[in-house]
Amino acid sequence: MNQPQKHPPVKTQLRPGILAKQALPWIVPVALLIAWQWASSAGILPGRFLPSPRAVVSSFIELSASGELWMHVRVSTLRALSGFVVGGGVGLLLGLLTASLRWAEVLLDTTIQMVRNIPPLALIPLVILWFGIDESAKLFLVALGVFFPIYINTFHGIRSVDRGLLEMGRTYGLSGWALYREIILPGALPSILVGVRFSLGLMWVILIVAETISARSGIGYMTMNAREFMQTDVMVVGILLYAILGKLADLLAKALERYWLRWNPAYQTAR
Amino acid sequence: MSVTFSSKQKEIATQHTRCSRGVSVAIKSVSIAFGGRTVLENFDVEVSAGEFVAIVGRSGCGKSTLLRSVAGLETPQSGTIIVADPADYVTKAHGKPDVRVMFQDSRLLPWRRILPNVMLGLEPALIPQARKVLAQVGLAERADDWPATLSGGQRQRVALARALVHDPNLLLLDEPLGSLDALTRIEMQQLIEDVWRGRGFTAMLVTHDVAEAISLADRVILIEGGRVALDEIVNLPRPRTRGSARFAALEERILGRVLQRRPAVEDHW
Repeated sequence: MNQPQKHPPVKTQLRPGILAKQALPWIVPVALLIAWQWASSAGILPGRFLPSPRAVVSSFIELSASGELWMHVRVSTLRALSGFVVGGGVGLLLGLLTASLRWAEVLLDTTIQMVRNIPPLALIPLVILWFGIDESAKLFLVALGVFFPIYINTFHGIRSVDRGLLEMGRTYGLSGWALYREIILPGALPSILVGVRFSLGLMWVILIVAETISARSGIGYMTMNAREFMQTDVMVVGILLYAILGKLADLLAKALERYWLRWNPAYQTAR
Repeated sequence: MSVTFSSKQKEIATQHTRCSRGVSVAIKSVSIAFGGRTVLENFDVEVSAGEFVAIVGRSGCGKSTLLRSVAGLETPQSGTIIVADPADYVTKAHGKPDVRVMFQDSRLLPWRRILPNVMLGLEPALIPQARKVLAQVGLAERADDWPATLSGGQRQRVALARALVHDPNLLLLDEPLGSLDALTRIEMQQLIEDVWRGRGFTAMLVTHDVAEAISLADRVILIEGGRVALDEIVNLPRPRTRGSARFAALEERILGRVLQRRPAVEDHW
């Protein structure tokens, strides 16, 4: 038993450092949670303003046990992703087109830049008029919102591809699709992925607002419905769900960056 | 001791120029101007098949532009550049002469590993060939690494391998060693010379380093004011040693010619 004590001092010195490093980001959230719970149970924070953390947790368990929560999460996620795929896909294609072909830029860019300055949410009254409050309205708003970050970053990414590499590619006989696949797309990818991350954040923001205003299902609907009945605990569950889903989307985008840009020292994971 | 071997080595030096892989380059009354400024004017140079020609001159003299127009990256306003194949060796077997360029920066694709970089524009069936060339430049074990993990000299060696795997008839070197440190430069010069002697392609090297030009080339051409100011045959046995008296004398003469028209320096001195 006495033997191992000979060399570990170095190790014991390192241990608390690593632990502290990992615990540090969570000190503030945990402290806030404790303060919140304390304020609720002490009666300083009335339940009709903000439910106690315990009430939120039990409401979460209740909603997920009944399956209601997962139904809303599924509907919202489906809306968000389909809007993202449609808007992002169109943004990517148009970005590739206007950045690659001069006439396409002249023809389309002015229009796109004008439309870009209209906040998608300002269109809600019109969108309700056009599509009613069914799925297509939400899809349209999300698609419109995510379109611009991806369009602009794709355009910028393609325009800023290293001229020297393009020249080199041409001297090696690359042209057309081969030049696109080997040099232009990989060169534009870091910028396109920045657009994707922007879009994923925007995607939830727009969906929340759209669902709060006009929907019969989804997290936004659940939250708004809870307000009618003063169910503050359900409202908080809905809000926290958005935070979690947003964080998940961001993690996904980061994982994509780490995989696709693994050639770039700036994106390599420090191990 | 170089004197005793010189005649024999001169013989070797002339032998490789007869090798059939190289193509000849005829540049006839070529004029190039950028935005009204004439870079090359009625420029004539002939390079024979298998020859190693170095083009020197001050920065901005048009030496890079000349090389880039031979590569087809610039279009001259007038004149012709003919890359021909006197022995009809290439055109019979492969159609067009293969011209490759090595730039000052390696221009490797950062998102492709080393082997795919060497394979750029080639069929997958040529992987063994690419590996062989990569081994020739001494980087066989780096085949699966990212370019970002290589040093500047190693990246230039990959760029050389990428050009060599095509088995070029004409290799254009646009100051490929300009950004390397002195030791790596000498190493790379030896590598380029070895490869050129082994394969017998035609080589045109643009450099601002007169010693580099003399140690590699059969002929050194000095460009000044858009014209050929000096066209000097380097009659030294290979491999050349920089320390030799004849090397130093030639370097002195060409450098003297380069520095001749520099009024600011003359006034100062």
